[in-house]
Amino acid sequence: MPKLTIDGIEVEVPAGVTILQACETLGIEIPRFCYHERLQIAGNCRMCLVEVEKSPKPVASCAMPVADGMVVHTGSPMVEKARKGVMEFLLINHPLDCPICDQGGECDLQDQAIGYGFDRGRFSENKRAVKDKNFGPLIKTYMTRCIHCTRCIRFITEVAGVPELGATGRGENMEVGTYVEKALSSELSGNIIDLCPVGALTSKPFAFTARPWELRKTESIDVLDALGSNIRVDARGAAVMRVLPRINDDVNEEWLSDKSRFAYDGLQRQRLDTPYVRRDGRLQPASWQDAFAAIAARLNGVDGKRIAAIAGDLADCESMVALKDLTAALGSPNIDCRQDGAKLDASVRASYLFNTTVAGIEEADALLLIGTDPRREAAVLNARIRKRWLNGRFPIASVGPKVDLTYRYEWLGDEPRLLTDIAEAKHPFAEVLKGAQKPMLILGMGALARPDGAAVLAAARRLAETCGMVKDGWNGFNVLHLAAARVGGLDLGLVPGKGGRDVAGILAGAEKGDIEVVYLLGADEIDMDRLGKAFVIYQGHHGDAGAHRADVVLPGAAYTEKNATYVNTEGRAQETRLAVFPPGEAREDWKVLRALSEALGHRLPYDSLREVRERMLAVSRVFAHRDAVAAAEWGAFGTDGALDNAPFVSPIENFYMTDPISRASKTMAECTALFVAGNQRKTGTHG
Amino acid sequence: MTAGTRLCTWLNGKLVGTDEFGNRYYTERREPVGRKARRWVIYQGEAEASKVPAEWHAWLHYTTEQPIAADVQGAKPWMRPHVPNLTGTADAYLPPGDDRRGGRRERSASDYESWRP
Repeated sequence: MPKLTIDGIEVEVPAGVTILQACETLGIEIPRFCYHERLQIAGNCRMCLVEVEKSPKPVASCAMPVADGMVVHTGSPMVEKARKGVMEFLLINHPLDCPICDQGGECDLQDQAIGYGFDRGRFSENKRAVKDKNFGPLIKTYMTRCIHCTRCIRFITEVAGVPELGATGRGENMEVGTYVEKALSSELSGNIIDLCPVGALTSKPFAFTARPWELRKTESIDVLDALGSNIRVDARGAAVMRVLPRINDDVNEEWLSDKSRFAYDGLQRQRLDTPYVRRDGRLQPASWQDAFAAIAARLNGVDGKRIAAIAGDLADCESMVALKDLTAALGSPNIDCRQDGAKLDASVRASYLFNTTVAGIEEADALLLIGTDPRREAAVLNARIRKRWLNGRFPIASVGPKVDLTYRYEWLGDEPRLLTDIAEAKHPFAEVLKGAQKPMLILGMGALARPDGAAVLAAARRLAETCGMVKDGWNGFNVLHLAAARVGGLDLGLVPGKGGRDVAGILAGAEKGDIEVVYLLGADEIDMDRLGKAFVIYQGHHGDAGAHRADVVLPGAAYTEKNATYVNTEGRAQETRLAVFPPGEAREDWKVLRALSEALGHRLPYDSLREVRERMLAVSRVFAHRDAVAAAEWGAFGTDGALDNAPFVSPIENFYMTDPISRASKTMAECTALFVAGNQRKTGTHG
Repeated sequence: MTAGTRLCTWLNGKLVGTDEFGNRYYTERREPVGRKARRWVIYQGEAEASKVPAEWHAWLHYTTEQPIAADVQGAKPWMRPHVPNLTGTADAYLPPGDDRRGGRRERSASDYESWRP
């Protein structure tokens, strides 16, 4: 371990770290533009210059590894002068448009110009002007402001794995762009907005709508995929103005997928803000009392077995436990949280979790994807797989849809029988898995949400056991969920009770008339036509498929509007926090169920959030800790059976629209038109 | 106007001028020694300080030595007639979203579109 002296303090750091990182261990902050912890070192902005004794020139500390006996000065007059010089050169071609720049107030250049800026300009020649680029509907460019730090290029190439950005020209004439005009097709493209240290890349939907200092910042959790990315919700008044990622190295590092980042405008459209009751065949606005009275009148005298409840993809744990208690009080065993029909087993916790954990992917040394397209199903998790892949010696194979995953993998086919082949070592990839120390598999909903899902689950378990994926200190069996609510629902036991029906059974029963009342807690992805003549109660926040079919609509709160618990695909319980209040008459979901229970004469025994959470804790110990993952016990699960020959397909056809919020979003509609429907403008070089 | 003001104005006041609203402006009849001559206004109707137009306001506060004529040369076309503070009166300003003004305002970022079946 080299020992060096920084500003008179002797410090010992691991070999190979840079001077800048060594300074950070001492809490000395070195100004920088191009350096970023999670990207490769470029060393081209020269802002991080420090003085190293016996070196004739100042040294770029971000790119200089420490050496034994180095004496570093970070605040000497020479350093100050060098940094001031660099800053003056940067500002030569930077426009003075901070008052109209969206980055104003959170701009690295602005902040560091306070410390190192010259008080007047000495540059009397013409400033450089660069034509703006078109990067698609999400990213707004103002390339004159670019200071050529190349963070965006490095991010798109390394982390997103879509080498679409690059630089042309050199020196002052260097331009960052896509060579041929096109929209950035990465699912993580929004992150270059955060990475850009100046206002060259800003958010297009957020452009000119708010200033950073007037926003109310609330730390929360994203629910638009099952990863549970940590986010910060910036709100002004009653509106969410933008969503930014929050650093959590165990989940999303500091990245956020485009859907989670830009779908927030869907929170302003198609909102349910008052209860509705169907009268004379039409939904009419009603008061809460009328809505509850209509439900109570319909439920009166209905046998519990003829009542069913389905929890949707965005339901929070508080409302799900209330729903479970309410259906139990009504005497109904028909409850299910797997609206996509996934044959998941709630009895063994390890069977439905991402046991390796997201951070654990970096330890794995072989990966088998089964019926999953992680790039569309959990874009940030896919970046983690790519990060591991870039480190080398990480064979990846896929049994499932043949798609571009941003890393090289061996496509074995898409037939389910390959699972038994690998488990019985009849397939060459079995050798790869057996030779690995820490092999893992990721089982997607494309493999489980099918009639033979239970057999696929059993086959995958056998594969994991025979290939040595489950051993002391390592569990390589992973289920990648699509819905933020699913793991929480399974933890709370929202599965059919004794003699109860699952989603398919509920739909079949409703079609035949055996099920009279169906309670949909934000469930929109089921086939509404199959509900037949059933009396449908829909509780949710958006007017989507469920609300159209419903007989009574109860308005609930979206994820930015309630303090609620979600469990991510790893089994990590995290909390969203109220950033804005629910619109109109809408209320937090567990309160709606609690109030309804009273109207039905089965008062639920909790009146405050604390009491609901105590009830959740009584159901499952998972909720004892926030932001922590407990290893789940391995057991036997799945049902042995014949595998269907139908190929695995990914359930996500359109990454940008998977839930009521993103379906209501205009930004996501633009992305869909561009990237999914393929309206990207063709240029002369396209075939 | 109180009786004291009326008496004081009758004894000491010298009328300097009258503005377009009928407010009368006085200064002291005898030049005092050791201080500036007092200047005051007798309002037409209710005593309300914002009734004083800009040109008389300047004179009243000793910004100018002589009162500025309202129809001074070089009056610009964009100069608008003086309006006293209307707060609390029937003519008070109402924002466009106020119910007494139709209750229709422009869309703001906090507005949401509610679902209609």
